[in-house]
Amino acid sequence: MTASEFKEYVKANGVKKAAREVDVVTTGTFGAMCSSGAYINFGHADPPIKMQKIWLDGVPAQAGLAAVDGYIGATALDETNNMMHGGAHVIEDLVRGKAVRLRATGHGTDCYPRKEIDTYVSLRTVNQAVLMNVRNAYQNYAVATNSSAKTLYTYMGKLLPEFGNATFSSAGELSPLMNDPYYRTIGIGTRIFLGGTQGYVMWEGTQFNPGAPRTPNGVPKRPAGTLAVIGDLKQMNPEFLKGLTFTRYGSSLGIGIGVPIPILDEDMARCCAVTNNDILAAVFDYSQPTRSRPVLREVSYAELRSGDIDIKGKQVPTSPLSSMYKARQVSEVLKSWILKGEFTIQEPVQSFPKDRPLRTLDVRTEREAT
Amino acid sequence: MKTKVVLTFSPEASNQPITHNLIAKHHLLVNILRAEIDEVGGKMVLELSGKADDIRGGIDYLKANGVGVRPIKEGVRRDDEACTHCGMCVSICPTKALTMDLKTGKVSFNEDKCVACGVCIDACPPRAMEILI
Repeated sequence: MTASEFKEYVKANGVKKAAREVDVVTTGTFGAMCSSGAYINFGHADPPIKMQKIWLDGVPAQAGLAAVDGYIGATALDETNNMMHGGAHVIEDLVRGKAVRLRATGHGTDCYPRKEIDTYVSLRTVNQAVLMNVRNAYQNYAVATNSSAKTLYTYMGKLLPEFGNATFSSAGELSPLMNDPYYRTIGIGTRIFLGGTQGYVMWEGTQFNPGAPRTPNGVPKRPAGTLAVIGDLKQMNPEFLKGLTFTRYGSSLGIGIGVPIPILDEDMARCCAVTNNDILAAVFDYSQPTRSRPVLREVSYAELRSGDIDIKGKQVPTSPLSSMYKARQVSEVLKSWILKGEFTIQEPVQSFPKDRPLRTLDVRTEREAT
Repeated sequence: MKTKVVLTFSPEASNQPITHNLIAKHHLLVNILRAEIDEVGGKMVLELSGKADDIRGGIDYLKANGVGVRPIKEGVRRDDEACTHCGMCVSICPTKALTMDLKTGKVSFNEDKCVACGVCIDACPPRAMEILI
């Protein structure tokens, strides 16, 4: 069953019966996930080059590995294009089957004498092209609003002045980690839906913060767990992988992720029965340019989804940043794969850590950092 | 009868009291939804209310005076293939031309409500909205 279907089923039949009758619940999310990117092995040129600097369609990619391996990050920007074109767009173009221009330079060595190359590559011409994202599928996130007198352009979208609107980014009750709040079934090695094909959880995501405050039912009220994921870019589908542009912030990758959750017992069924009424997020004023913005209030996803919320006595219209429509599609496609036997549930080879402090970056002396 | 039109005019035409004339001579109720002027001319989005004959007469008057008149439907376009139905646009659209169906999760664009203000254009992450005027 999809997560939406399961919640309805539990409402009608109760947790006990649901735990007995249902084997697997498929979750889904589709949203902007900035900490994403792809590594690519371009193959060797003749004469060969050890690439020190790489550009794909003008967007700088990370070199500094061996000769012809590069990593293109979703938020890397083409310096000439007013923050409108970045790594995420290049990755989408590749998935669409387009050829992209590869330019690279190197120092020239005895074993790699070539100093520059200017050519075209596509997913057909390269060896590996692997999407490898270090932080995706945040277990809850924030609600952003703006108390100042001017419009703000943020990674949470366009925020109109004087609490003109509020944006939120989690898929709420459909989101993978909302349905497995203590990571009982999701861990290293879990097979998942990633960008339209099968991928894997490869590690806890960066900034993994299981100690975030939680409601009595265990669902975090603040950004908490995250996933690092990996999958074959060559098999991905542009329906579930999209280059996005946030004005005056830059590019980000919209990606569909779905995780199947086996209903191990009644407790797991209770977790997957969670609804938008039970999930809370904190509203932050993004006009405060600080790491620790004050919380204006807590609000449920049911309220956020209703179209407006009350902030300081004002009815403020809300916008999701993650597509509920696409999140449902993800959960439905994953369900169909499982029913057809094309996708099997993989037990994690290792669970995530139960505690992991979230550290900050401060200006320190060498001694303080040691 | 009501209709929404997008007017474009040259600097010369900008100097005429066209709104006054639409009201006084053509007996139309004029609601200015958007107006701007710069060195290359002006743009205005108007809602005209009145008798069908008067609206026709008003539009003929505008055209005779060098004002470009286009229906609002040619103001903003959505690329349905690019739209991911995320909903970023729904909270910023001042006329609620962009709304989300809570059942299906799909965002619909009601061109009749659009006043071509352009607020959605730079807010759309997949860049699905395009302004044509």
